[in-house]
Parts: sequence; structure tokens; C-alpha cells
Amino acid sequence: MTTAVATRSVPEPVADTAPDRPADSGRRAGLLLSAPFLIVYLLFLVGPLVVGIVLSFFNTTTVKSGLGGWVGLSNYTKVCRDPLFWDAMWHSVLFTLFTTPPLVVLALAAAVLASRMRRGRVFYRIAFFAPYVVPSSVVALIFLWMYTPQVGLFTKVFSGLGLPVPDFIGSTSGGWTAVTLMTLWWTFGFNFVLYTAALQDIPTDVYEAAAIDGAGPWQQIRTITVPLLAPTTSLVLILQILASLKVFDQIYLLLGGGPNQSTRPVIEYIYDTGFTSYRGGYGAAATMVYFVIIVAVSAAWYGLRRWRAADTAAPAGTAA
Amino acid sequence: MSGAMARRRFLGLGAGAALSAGLAACSSPLASGLAGAQPDTADVIFWNLFTGGDGANMVQMEQDFRKAHRGVTVEATILGWGNPYYTKLALATASGTPPDVGIAHLSRLPLLAAAGLLEPVSRTGVMELGVTADRFTPAAWQKAGVNGTVYAVPLDTHPFVLFYNVDLARKAGLLNAAGDGLKDMKGGADFTDAVKAMKDASGHYGAVMSITADPSTAWRWFSMVYSGLAGPVVSDAGTKVSVDDEAMRETFAFLQSLTNGGLMPSELNGSGANALFSTGKAGFLFDGEWQIPSYRLVKDLRFNVVPFPALLGPKPVAYADSHALVVPHNPRRSAARTANAARFIKSLLDDSAVWAGGGHIPAWLPTQTSKAFLDQTPQRNYVQAAFDAHYDPPAWYTGAGSDFQNTVGATIIEALAGRTSPKNAVAAMRSDLKRYTTTRPPVTMK
Amino acid sequence: MTTTIITTAPGRSAGGTTKAAGVDGPRLFNRLCATCLTLFALIWLVPFFWALATSLRSDGSITQHPTSPFAGGWSFHAYSYAWDHYPIGWWYLNSLVISLLAVVFTVGFCSMAGFALAFLRFRGRGVIIALVTAGLMLPTEALVLPQFIEYRSLHLLGTYWALVLPSIAAPVSVFVFHAFFRGIPTPLIEAARIDGASWWRVYASVCMPISRPAAATVAILTFINSWNAFLWPLLVLNQTKSQTIPVGLASLVNNSNIQYAEVMASSVLGFLPLIAVFLVFQRQITQGIATTGIR
Repeated sequence: MTTAVATRSVPEPVADTAPDRPADSGRRAGLLLSAPFLIVYLLFLVGPLVVGIVLSFFNTTTVKSGLGGWVGLSNYTKVCRDPLFWDAMWHSVLFTLFTTPPLVVLALAAAVLASRMRRGRVFYRIAFFAPYVVPSSVVALIFLWMYTPQVGLFTKVFSGLGLPVPDFIGSTSGGWTAVTLMTLWWTFGFNFVLYTAALQDIPTDVYEAAAIDGAGPWQQIRTITVPLLAPTTSLVLILQILASLKVFDQIYLLLGGGPNQSTRPVIEYIYDTGFTSYRGGYGAAATMVYFVIIVAVSAAWYGLRRWRAADTAAPAGTAA
Repeated sequence: MSGAMARRRFLGLGAGAALSAGLAACSSPLASGLAGAQPDTADVIFWNLFTGGDGANMVQMEQDFRKAHRGVTVEATILGWGNPYYTKLALATASGTPPDVGIAHLSRLPLLAAAGLLEPVSRTGVMELGVTADRFTPAAWQKAGVNGTVYAVPLDTHPFVLFYNVDLARKAGLLNAAGDGLKDMKGGADFTDAVKAMKDASGHYGAVMSITADPSTAWRWFSMVYSGLAGPVVSDAGTKVSVDDEAMRETFAFLQSLTNGGLMPSELNGSGANALFSTGKAGFLFDGEWQIPSYRLVKDLRFNVVPFPALLGPKPVAYADSHALVVPHNPRRSAARTANAARFIKSLLDDSAVWAGGGHIPAWLPTQTSKAFLDQTPQRNYVQAAFDAHYDPPAWYTGAGSDFQNTVGATIIEALAGRTSPKNAVAAMRSDLKRYTTTRPPVTMK
Repeated sequence: MTTTIITTAPGRSAGGTTKAAGVDGPRLFNRLCATCLTLFALIWLVPFFWALATSLRSDGSITQHPTSPFAGGWSFHAYSYAWDHYPIGWWYLNSLVISLLAVVFTVGFCSMAGFALAFLRFRGRGVIIALVTAGLMLPTEALVLPQFIEYRSLHLLGTYWALVLPSIAAPVSVFVFHAFFRGIPTPLIEAARIDGASWWRVYASVCMPISRPAAATVAILTFINSWNAFLWPLLVLNQTKSQTIPVGLASLVNNSNIQYAEVMASSVLGFLPLIAVFLVFQRQITQGIATTGIR
């Protein structure tokens, strides 16, 4: 299987494979079979989106039934003018900037190295991927313990190496360090697995040819493996960016968005306004603004990818 | 029924032997998870936010209730103090699975009540047990009402108070004739003189308080001084800024006269304040009475606690808040459960001398005037503070641990640290307050 | 995808033959890599073992000798304490019921939809495919607020269904089945149809039995995702005994806990079942992740 690409490129609404049948039974069966999923999908995935759009124009109370009064676009103007919203947005971006490069580069390096190993691949896979199946709160508990002043493992390791021990939970910079390290440990395996799968699709004769040409292992990696992984890197990068922009668990659990809201990500902003202050309508507007930003990022990536694919496909076509 | 049994057995097998025992005993959380009713895991489900000494006292009071009411089970859950607790309480109530009894700060009551999350006290049956207005500290009972309806039963008043080191006070000549309190002080000038005398006696500082990264304490201190001169900083249920600029400027000037003149450190965190007061390097400590238990543990520290004297205004004012007992709204709660909840509330009130061990003043007058409470020092010294209590102004955003306190507290910290002038501090406060007053309230408060 | 690979590969590798390492270079290089990687992997396992070691010690010896896990002897005391003081049994049960319900309904509904989209022509098929494709791009986790309000008005809050329904609505699962079914040779389907089987029979007795790999992928990923979900269960299930494992354990984060052994014992109880599931199904899980890219 090629990575993620498979599922992502499947949905082409051309019904060429459907066999020619007496149309009637197929029609009814098709509707009946897709109905359960479709109903749930419309109600509980499309539904919240619609509800969110509607709510953002009302002064809805989260914990009280009823829509509340119509307020037009004023929720949106307030969100856009709230410096705290943009602070929170920036914190989410900052988290993305901190975590994405190490998560992509290290995963690439580890996967490339692991693919060269004859033995122990299962061990690497287990070691790197196991943290990913653990719930975020358990990871947070373990890391909080390791970050404990005086007695925590990280504290000991930092001071053992002669490094200044950051105040992991009490300060902003220490907090970012804590969250970044924890995220690195927790989600690293995901990218590792994506890269490993992509590496398995590279035919070995490419390497053999290169080895005959006299390329050493480092040249092989640099000139063959990494370029061949470019599409995967692009995929890993976008998945990583989208996941990082959605950060909530780690920061909420480790720092509670603190100290003094200096690490609060945008989802926690929505949580605070929408649930702690009951400002449902306003929170919905903040959700929508954030939503548009996320969809814009993914749309930009899809656009870029298609444009690039068209770009590289054209010369290939003429050569053939 | 047999279907439920089969499912139960199946799940028991899946979950392992340890669970099947639990399932056989009581399956209600499972049933409620599938059907959506409130899980009846105990007769009274009680939520609070107390840890440490208060937490231990509360556990003691729960135990006392269990002893007195055999056969009524209580399940107590402790949640994270402040916003996490209140968020959870609101979400649980909105989900239809609230606790039967919860703790709420009276300062957080306006929003809870306006959002329809609380049962009016008159409908909980607690009044039939003798819990009536005339048996509470008036200030607390009044704050428990929102627009004429009472939504909470006050358990205590916990004011911001003045701690002093007895030995240093004697040395500074501040003790009264009996030696059990301070000499009368009239106004800010007297108070400043007393702090000066304490500084001379200690050789380091006259007074300390937690300032750095502690917006709540800064707000309490500011709010108390300012309330002596003017009314609440916001009015009309929090929709209007009603700052008296001159009074606020005077307040900031007074606060700065203490921190800028070297009488008090202007940058100090909580543990720093604790260390200085514990070691006799400061004569006064400005803090909440809930700190009493932790100072009791300090060896060789003889301290006493009194209400603050009148500082800038004619009358003494105490910044305070109250823990209160609320019954979250749940249309599906049975009459029997409500009755148990009422009995539990009544029992906590009757037992609130235990609660006073944490430094709090019982709001329940039968306890407040009982020997069990009056034997407790220094708690009995500052009972008057409960009657002079000023709470956060009613608004949807104010209250203990709220963002509002953090925001205005941060501005006050800037002033205390001397980084901004009184005039600029007033302007900064105005703009902070405006941010809240111009935000559309999530619920109608009037 | 493959075309890009083939077109780029020869061009780059032709220029990459400048420097040849020494004869022993590659072997040395590989050995160095192996050492580094193994070291790296061992570091990755440290938190697990640290939690495990801490959970088996006493709080006193932890504070006295934090970095020597063998000091002070080992015991299971912390486990019995954690089990007695937190309703971990209930949390397990809730997580298990929710995850199993999610798996059963997701596999059922999504395979039906995937089947219909793969083999049947019916009005609205194109619309459904477009809708579901668009759903892939939606950051559904961001929608918790409107979701909460919608579920509140439907009176679903506080029930397991509030957690089960969103996982059923995952478009990725439909695509996994859709992709798999499209790989089934059509003659097989036609033969069944000629034998007079209804479409339901074709789905239930022809396609589903052979689609075990796809069902396993969807089932495992759904299980892990719904077991590990945090924000949404945090909002929806509030009573102590009705919480899931992740949310229940998160309540230990808040308390300024100095009972390290007890907290770590709870963490170990929190991660062990998942690690066990992972060790058994690690191949399927990683393959599932690699094919779907679901987070």
C-alpha cells in the first residue's frame, strides 16, 4: 500500500466500476445501504458545522436552551478584534513551529536508518510507536512526574548534564520546552510509521544501481532516499501542521494554558469562552474563524500539490 | 430486564473478573451511560474544590454526616480549584447529570444563577429544616440572592485579613493593653505609622504580601482599600464602568506609598512572603485567613490575626468571599434525593465549627455564636469582618479565580511594583474594565 | 504518485556518484547507524520503564533517592491504593463499552456505505461522495462547541451515545471500505447476483467475509481513537464514575499530587491495556495508520 495517498486519491466521483444492473434494485439498495451512515454523518458531522454557523450569529448561552438574541456579525467583529484570540492563535502556530521540524526531520532520519537495518525493525516500530497509542492524559501524568522539580527525571538529567534546569511548569519558556518534549515523544511514532511505509515502496534495485555506481550509504540516502520520499514528506508535513494547529490536550493538561494564559492554544480559547464563560455564540464565531484558517491551510496544500503534480507530470509526458 | 442482564454478563466477561463483581453490585453508571439518566452511585453526590487543610476538614464533615445518617451514602468528588471546577459544574448540569450538592463561591453565583443552573433554595426543602435568612451573617445571605431569589446556602465568610507577628508588635508598641489585639488605628496614616514601627522592629520589612504572579491577592488588597472610598468598580450587573477616578487614584497612591517607600517589598511571590513572615523579617502579612493553618505549622512563630482597620474611608471594610452550598438544577432528581441533599446541607452547617478550623468564619449563626467556634483563636478575632464584607461586584465575569480577577490583578501588580503611576494605573483599570463591560453578557443578568 | 518517483529518480542519482567511501565505509556506517538508532529507541522506552519503576516504589524512597529505582524495595502497594481510591474499574468499563459500541457501529455502517458507493449506482451517489470527501478536510475536533450545543438539544449529553456517534461519522472509514471493495473482482459480485442473491446478501455473505483486512483496520483504529479521545469526553461525561480512562486519569493531573507512586500506578494501569493491544496488533495498527493517515 502506498501511504495515505491511496485513500486520499480514491474519491473520484466517476461510477465506472459499478456493474450494469437492472437499475431499480441497485438504486433502492444503494440508498438503503448508505442511509445509516449518511444519516449519522449528516446529523453529527455536517450538523455541528451548520449549527456552528447559525450559532455564531446569535448570543447563545452554552448551558441554557434556546438560541438567544440575533446579533448579526458582531460576534465575528469582536473575535477578530480580540487580542486574546490572536494571542491564542499565535500560541497554536508557535506550537506548530516548535514541534513540526523535529517531528518531521527526526522521523525521517529514524525511518531511513531503520530501513537500512536487517534486524530489529519490529523492535524499532514498537519502541517508537507505542507512545502514540497511550492516552494523552497518561502521557501528561508521566511527563509531569518527570518534570517535577528536584526529584523528576528530566530535572536530574538536565542538572547532570550541567544544563540550567528550566522551570518546566511555572514559566512560559519552560512550559514550551515541556510541551514540545512531551509531544515529540508522544507523536513521533506516527510520522515514523508513515515514512517507514513509504520506504518499503522504494524498489531495492534503485539502491543496487547506485551501489554499483559506487555511491556510499550516505550518498544513497542523500541523493536517492530523501528525494524519493519528497511526496511523503509533503504529506507528513501537512498532516503534522494540521494536527499541531489543533493542539489542546498537551497544553491543557500540562500547563492549563498558563502561566497567565501565555501558552493557551486557540482550542482552549474556544473552550474558555464557550464553556467556562458560557458564551456559546461567541465561541462558535471563534470556532468558525479558526475553522476557515484550518481549511485554508489544507486547501492551500491540496492546491500546491496538484499544481506541483501537474508541473512534474508535464515534462514526464513529453519525454514519453 | 433479561436483555440488560445478558449485556451485563457479556461486558463483565469482556472487562474481566474484577469488574463483574462491581457490576453485580451496582450497574447504574452503565445504565445511565446507555440511557442518559443520572447515575445513582450514592444517595448524595457532592462536588467540591477543596484540597489540603480545607479538604481534610470537609472529609471530616462528610464522615460526621455519614455517622449521623446511617444508610445515607455520600460520594464526594474533588475537582480542580477555580475555572476547571466551575466549568465542570456547568457542563454537568447542562448534561443533566449534575451532583446533588455542590460548593460555589458566592462571588461566582450571579452567572450560575442567571444561567438557570441552580435550584432556588426555597425549592430544595432545606428551609423546612430551619435554614432561614435570620440565622446567617446578613452580608453572606444577601450575596446568596440574585434578583430577590436565594440560590445558595452560605457556609462561611473568608475575608482578607491582617496577620501580625506578636513579638514584633510588642516590640513596636502596637499591642493593646490586654495584649490580645492591636491598638486602635484610625485611617491610612495610623496604619502607615504602624507598618513603619513594624519595619523598625523587624529590621527588614514592615509588611509583606504575595504580589508577583498573584493577581487574586493583588485584587483583594486593592478592592478592600478602594471599597472604603467608593462603590463597586462596575455596576448595572457588570455592564457599566462606575469607577471613581479620584478615589482610585488615591487608592493606588496609598498602595504605592507602602511598596515604594521600602516598607513592603514590591516584588515578592507567595513563598517569599511566607518565608519573610515566618522568620520574623516582616511584622504584618496581608493575606486571606485560609493561610492560618499553614502558619500554625511554623515553629516559634507567634502570630495573631485581626480585621483590617479603616484605611482610606471612614469605616472598616473587609474584602471577602464565601463558600456556599448549592443544589444544581436537575429536573430528574427524585424527591428522596432532594431530601437527602437538604439533610446533607443542614448537617454541614451544623458541623461548620470543624470548617472554621481552616480559618473561615461560619456563616451559620448558631455555629458562629457557639462555644465550639468561639473557643477557636484567632478565628473569633475577625468575626466582625464577615459583617463588613464586600464581595466582587455582581457580573457574569467576576468572582474567585475568574479571568476578570487575573486581568485587573495584573494591572494592580504593575502599580504595586511601582512600574506605573497612579494616574496611568487608573486609566489601565478603566480599559480593563471596559473590555468586560462592553462584552455582551452570555445571559441576561437583570 | 509512481510517475513522479520514476521521473525524478534517475536524474538525481546520476549526479550523486562523486565520492565513493572506503571499502569498509558502508559497513562501518551501517553499524554506527544501528547503534544510534538503538540508543534512540531505548531512550524512547525510558518513560514507560520510569513510570513502571516509580509505581513499584514507596513515596518516601522516591523523594529520598529519586534516580535510583532499586532503592527501598518494590511493592504493589501503590496499585491497590490507586484501585481503591479512584474508580478505575468504572473508567475501564466506560471506555470499553464506548469503544466497542463505536467499533461495532462504525464497521457496520461504514462498510455498508462503502459497499453501496463501490458497487451500486443510485441517485445522489455523486453528492454523497463529494460530501464525504469534503468531510475528510474538516477539522472535526475544532467543532466541539457547536457539537456540544447540538447534543444538548438532542438530550444526548451524559450518555455513551454522545461519544459513539461522532466516531461513526468518520468519513475515513468509508473510504477504507470503499477502496477495499473496489479491489474485489466484479465477476464475483455478478455471479452472486445471477444466483439471485439480493444486494444485501451480496454485501453480507460475499463481500464482508472477505473484507476482514479492511474491517480490522477500521475496527482497530476506531477503537484506539475512541479509547484515547480526550476533549469531547471531557465535555460530555461529567460524573466521576461515568468518565472514560483518559478523562478520569486527567483528574489526577489537577491535584497537586505528591503521591508519585500512586499516580504512576494509575498511569501504568492506564497505558497497559493499550500497550497490550498494540503489541498484539502492532502490524495491523501501523499498517492502518500508514494507509489512512488518520490521527
